[in-house]
Amino acid sequence: MNLNFNKTLNPFARGALLAFFAFGLALLSYAAAESASKVHPALTSNAQAATNSVAISGELMAHTCAACHGTLGRLGDESFMPLAGMPLRQFTTSMVDFREGKRPATLMGHVAQGFNDAEIRAMGEFFSAVKPLGGQP
Amino acid sequence: MNTVNLSRRQWLSSSAGLLSAAALPVWAQAPAKSSPAHIVIVGGGVGGATAAKYLKLFDPTVRVTIIEKNRTYIKPYGSSEVLNQHASMDDLKVSYDTLRTQYGVNFVFDTVTGFDPQARTVSTAGRQKIAYDRLIVSPGIQLMYSAYAGYSEQAANTAVPSSWIPGAQTALLAKQLQGMRQGGTFVLAAPPNPYRCPPGPYERAALMTEWFGKHNPTAKVIIVDPKDSFVTDETMMLGWNRLYNFNLPDDYVKKMQDKVELKQHAGTTMLSWVRGKDGGRTLKIDAKKMTIETEAEVIKADVINVIPPMKAGQIAMTLGLADASGWCPVNRRNFASTVQPHVHVIGDASIADAMPKSGFSANNQAKVVARAILEELAGRAAPEPLWENTCYALAGKDYGLFVADVFKIIDGKIGRINTKARYLPLNATPAQIKLGARYQQAWLRTFTQDCFA
Repeated sequence: MNLNFNKTLNPFARGALLAFFAFGLALLSYAAAESASKVHPALTSNAQAATNSVAISGELMAHTCAACHGTLGRLGDESFMPLAGMPLRQFTTSMVDFREGKRPATLMGHVAQGFNDAEIRAMGEFFSAVKPLGGQP
Repeated sequence: MNTVNLSRRQWLSSSAGLLSAAALPVWAQAPAKSSPAHIVIVGGGVGGATAAKYLKLFDPTVRVTIIEKNRTYIKPYGSSEVLNQHASMDDLKVSYDTLRTQYGVNFVFDTVTGFDPQARTVSTAGRQKIAYDRLIVSPGIQLMYSAYAGYSEQAANTAVPSSWIPGAQTALLAKQLQGMRQGGTFVLAAPPNPYRCPPGPYERAALMTEWFGKHNPTAKVIIVDPKDSFVTDETMMLGWNRLYNFNLPDDYVKKMQDKVELKQHAGTTMLSWVRGKDGGRTLKIDAKKMTIETEAEVIKADVINVIPPMKAGQIAMTLGLADASGWCPVNRRNFASTVQPHVHVIGDASIADAMPKSGFSANNQAKVVARAILEELAGRAAPEPLWENTCYALAGKDYGLFVADVFKIIDGKIGRINTKARYLPLNATPAQIKLGARYQQAWLRTFTQDCFA
């Protein structure tokens, strides 16, 4: 996994940081150190915000997918669908269709049964805000 | 100096002697608030490695140390594929380098010999004393070789391997199976519940039946079993029925025949399953005569693979974390030991109700515990948890199946919330079955990445 701060931070966040630079070098280095120490570089502020929307956080549920779909949903050339950066609507539609049996599946139909609409949405919000591995957000 | 990572608290207790805290200079009185917490993890398997990685992912400032006796991890999952020459022993090896260099996890290669739960220190065989704020213990299983008369670790290392914890016994069993005389008999003794990797013994028997079909077509494979059923039994035996002319027991035929076409094969077949109710429970092993005695009969074999009963790994016993069941009771929400303070037990060793003893379970428990510890250290409650498990298994190299579950806390225990279905459907198409096998192979890679890289 690539943990490089500059490579994985999305352009918007990078832009925001650059704008912040104008306010002073000392402030910037403090802020960069803060965000680098607390937040995985693949996560944007949206991914952080998505964590508190349901009884079980979207982030916590999303990590249960990682054993197949990759840490933070970031996956390269594998049989499983990468989830990082998947548009919210694509994620929620896929999961609901799996759950309702509208979309053929091997095991995702069983897994999707474990989640209600709000939980699916919370997971989807988390994944949509993660920068995909080696791709464009 | 034979101590490392002495915390300020421990340094104080060892150097201040009888002085009260009030008598100490201000700078020495209490750990500074900004001092990062130290989480020590005992065991560098799937549970321990995942906990370390996700602790650092959630908060790179936290200090994480893994105490592990082996410098390289050998994967148990996928290790039966060494037996049928689909993988090599080297393929099972996983390096700790990424956890160390990319995530900043500290490693101490040593064996834990005891701990002081009040002072919060663990001691090791190498005479190190390591202080912690929270201890995560992920000790895996130990095999109870002495459960069967005539069986022992020594017998397992030299003649009748178990190979359920991979290593030299895996290589020995592979050599025995691949070198077995034409028309020889391979007996696999399946374990009683609960045990690591529920579909594993049956996958192993299937993969060897497939291999013998090509290399030793008159060989026999006999599974002797104290149980009458197992996880994925219907879908696994449907695969055997299609691939190896296996005839399902009558009660399974009755249960399944309305849903799927089962073939009835004439004559004796290569693979057989002797269940508990038919006397399949193992009583005695004779490694010299190469016989295995079950409740029903004495079987003369050419190769015997005994998967004995299991209990929590030795470290759990050393630290007094297990109860009379041989497994470790925990608070379901954060896997905190109910026996010792500031200790969490994860993976196969923990009592996790409906969650199976699998790598996938350990991986998911590790993430929940990592988050719970960080929240609790910050003075907040551990969040409401959710876990998943999928056990992929093979009935043949192109015949995949699985059990897939999602778990929540229900009435104080961990329960399944996908109540409709959990297995490969009996009417799965050939494409779905083949895809299941591809998923199993992909999972061996993606899962290792999620735990160790």
